[in-house]
Amino acid sequence: MDKLFAAAQAALDALTALGAEKASVRVQDSETLELNALGGEFTLMRSLLDRELSLTAIRDGRRGTAKVNRLDADAIRRTAEDCMAVAASGESDPAWDLAPAPETGDFTSGTLKADPDRLFERSKELLDSIAKAYPHVIVEELITEHRLTREVYLNTAGSRFTDISGHYSVDLMFSGHAGEQATSFFGSTVTAPDLDQPFLELGTLAKDLQSAERSLDAETTQGTCMGDILVHPDLLMEFLEVAADLFCSDQALINGTSPWKDRLGEAVASPSLSVRAAPLDGRICGGDKYTGEGFLSRDYDWLKDGRLESFCLSLYGANRTGLPRALNEDFCPVMAPGDKTLEELIGSIRNGLLVGRFSGGEPSPNGDFSGVAKNSFRITGGKLGKAVNETMISGNLADMLKNVGGISAELVCSGGYVLPWVIFRDVLISGG
Amino acid sequence: MVDLQIPRGFSSLIPSGEQGELRAQLNRDRRIVLLSGTPVVNLRSEVSGVSARVCRGGSYGFASMPEVNEEALRRVLKSAEENAAVLDRHLNKGKAARKAVPRALIAPGTSWTDAEQKVYLDYLRELDAWIAGLPHLTSRRLVVACDSTEKHLVTGDGAEAHTAVPRCYLYVDLNAETKNGDAVELSKAFGGFGGFDDWFRDPAELRGQVEKLHLQLMEKREGVYAKAGKCTCILGGELSGMLAHEAVGHTVEADLVIGGSVGGPNLGKVVASPLVNMTDFAREAFGETAPLPVYCDDEGVEAQDAPLIRDGVLVGFMHDRESAQRFGALPLGNARAYSFSDEPLIRMRNTAVHPGKDKLEDIIASVEDGYYLLNTNNGQADTTGEFMFGVTLGYEIKKGKLGQAILDTTISGVAFDMLKTVDMVSDKVVWESSGYCGKKQPMAVGLGGPALRCRLTIGGR
Repeated sequence: MDKLFAAAQAALDALTALGAEKASVRVQDSETLELNALGGEFTLMRSLLDRELSLTAIRDGRRGTAKVNRLDADAIRRTAEDCMAVAASGESDPAWDLAPAPETGDFTSGTLKADPDRLFERSKELLDSIAKAYPHVIVEELITEHRLTREVYLNTAGSRFTDISGHYSVDLMFSGHAGEQATSFFGSTVTAPDLDQPFLELGTLAKDLQSAERSLDAETTQGTCMGDILVHPDLLMEFLEVAADLFCSDQALINGTSPWKDRLGEAVASPSLSVRAAPLDGRICGGDKYTGEGFLSRDYDWLKDGRLESFCLSLYGANRTGLPRALNEDFCPVMAPGDKTLEELIGSIRNGLLVGRFSGGEPSPNGDFSGVAKNSFRITGGKLGKAVNETMISGNLADMLKNVGGISAELVCSGGYVLPWVIFRDVLISGG
Repeated sequence: MVDLQIPRGFSSLIPSGEQGELRAQLNRDRRIVLLSGTPVVNLRSEVSGVSARVCRGGSYGFASMPEVNEEALRRVLKSAEENAAVLDRHLNKGKAARKAVPRALIAPGTSWTDAEQKVYLDYLRELDAWIAGLPHLTSRRLVVACDSTEKHLVTGDGAEAHTAVPRCYLYVDLNAETKNGDAVELSKAFGGFGGFDDWFRDPAELRGQVEKLHLQLMEKREGVYAKAGKCTCILGGELSGMLAHEAVGHTVEADLVIGGSVGGPNLGKVVASPLVNMTDFAREAFGETAPLPVYCDDEGVEAQDAPLIRDGVLVGFMHDRESAQRFGALPLGNARAYSFSDEPLIRMRNTAVHPGKDKLEDIIASVEDGYYLLNTNNGQADTTGEFMFGVTLGYEIKKGKLGQAILDTTISGVAFDMLKTVDMVSDKVVWESSGYCGKKQPMAVGLGGPALRCRLTIGGR
């Protein structure tokens, strides 16, 4: 860390000497060890060293940023000059700022030293288990890795943070096959602090592999109807991230396109919906410990009993809009378990779909969306039926969040979120 | 400054029998985002380093470092050899070395100007001030995104290539509201291969195209929801290019074929109407330089066109050297890496449906009840060929005439089924090259096509 500190301090000094009134510096280096398998066979082992020097400077209300992946004295000097030139080219905006009071913190998480042999064993164990237990699954791609990052953050207000973090991750892409018949691809990504558990026991990997085999028996949806969708936690994560972006982000609120722009503190979602943005939750791997503006991260309630408790604004966005800033910039949604099992949730649906993945265009600024329901199964009369293909779902995200029909007692932890399965009522389901 | 020159003679350090590559690379990014007149992103970024990949007995090892010098080259080569050896020890595949490829010496000599940030901002400010005067806009967003990739590659086969791919784009996003107060948006990217001054000299020159975008947005403000279900559509060139790339191209990348894509069992079979032809172009397409020309890939293979569909029949896959050997095909330069720390993967270059003989106005006149779909903001497809594209601009067609604009929607279908319904193909190709393809690594690609009349499923209400 000494080299990173020295580089960070040199960069901060260079920016100050060049006239920066406020400045921040992030220096990070990383080591990645990665295994790749293609078509179920190992093909490649990679070891990657990288680093990044990221500078931000504010002068006369003008802000510039510059990045480079070198830390030598020449690179630091040139990048600082670049950063100041970029700032000078901009327009003055008093909203640019850094945390007013200095904060400090030193953080360490996960497994800091990679174990290549154990990583290979766990990866091989996963491929062998899939070949044995899921004979109709072809693994299109498997990427497993250990990534170690060391980071130093300094700013001119006196904030000083260090973060050392080492984690394993598994990224699996696969599909079901029987002769020339094939299913859509399934993807599962999980991050874990160590290799204590077999990969197959993480996240929803086992459930997803089972779904891939079940998807071989599929039918095409006919006609159009309103129905309920029971959403996989991966997809719930996507919906929540899109809602945060469309309704609560800097851009949505500065532009005024958010339908929630005047709703802070009001009910915007179903009273059963509570979501915390919680990068510090013990089940989250490598969540941000501090923000780029020099604040220590803190978990916060985004939605509480359906009420909008916070926007997802940076300090800049807060200053531009006059609204409060969010207490972290990493989101990492965490929900509490519901009171019904997944099986009971399925039993409560008269007509609808269990939706594993959504392949859709970017929703409109007002939340309108439509797309293909992938890796999805028909639910009729409370029973899980055949997989569906060529089936679209359409609706409005803001309306959908008001219309929650149930939350599962089972929670899934992917390393980046802790979420249940959730029913959304009255979504348009259409086929060919 | 980063000197990307790999010293002469370094290729001989790659042990014989461990065919491999050494690469020095620099990626530059310049980005400015102007949100309703205020710069909210103003960034310059440079990423450089070296990498090595070697193959031992069929197992590959790769290593990279963020430095460009002789010591770094030696270190990454050693680490890559160690990684290949570890994997080979575990797997013991015992494969023979890959077939040698003809020795390529490529130095296309592309040059462009890396403009200062102020040049971009001055242009944006002038254009933005003019756009601010257009009626009924609630907000606007202008983005300049210029990136470039420069590489020096040497291989154990003796190939050597200096390549450079500069791109520069200006995105204009316009926002307005419907009479119900709902936000509607339209975006357009301008620019292409080259530097900023190759495309953008005078903001006044762009006004005509922005006015057209504004007019389309005003029509969309009054737009209606599409009627959900299967219908006759005309896919504009932007969408047929998306189809070529996402729904067909990916399924015929040999690594995805190995992973079980629908391309595998369909080689040599009819997958489209006889009117449909499709190629992944390397340097030139339809008599002109391709949008993002590729001269040599990152395995040292000189780039050539890869025919994919001929008269409706699937005729080939895209390969790297390993898969070409496995399938008994020729590698045609599709193995590409995005950053210095990325290994070459099978990637598309400039993938397009060929033009036909029909005039667009005749195609529109032939549709009794359907949609003309022009712009997209997003596309995804499956290894089964099932696709979904977001549509941000389209019009109803009633009795052969364009009607009301439609609000944002999505289209879907299965590529090899939908392509069989193509019964008219326009005579003009529209190219798009501003986006990135995502497949483990991002990659700059070109995609294009003519207008296609076909049947597919549209989302809506």
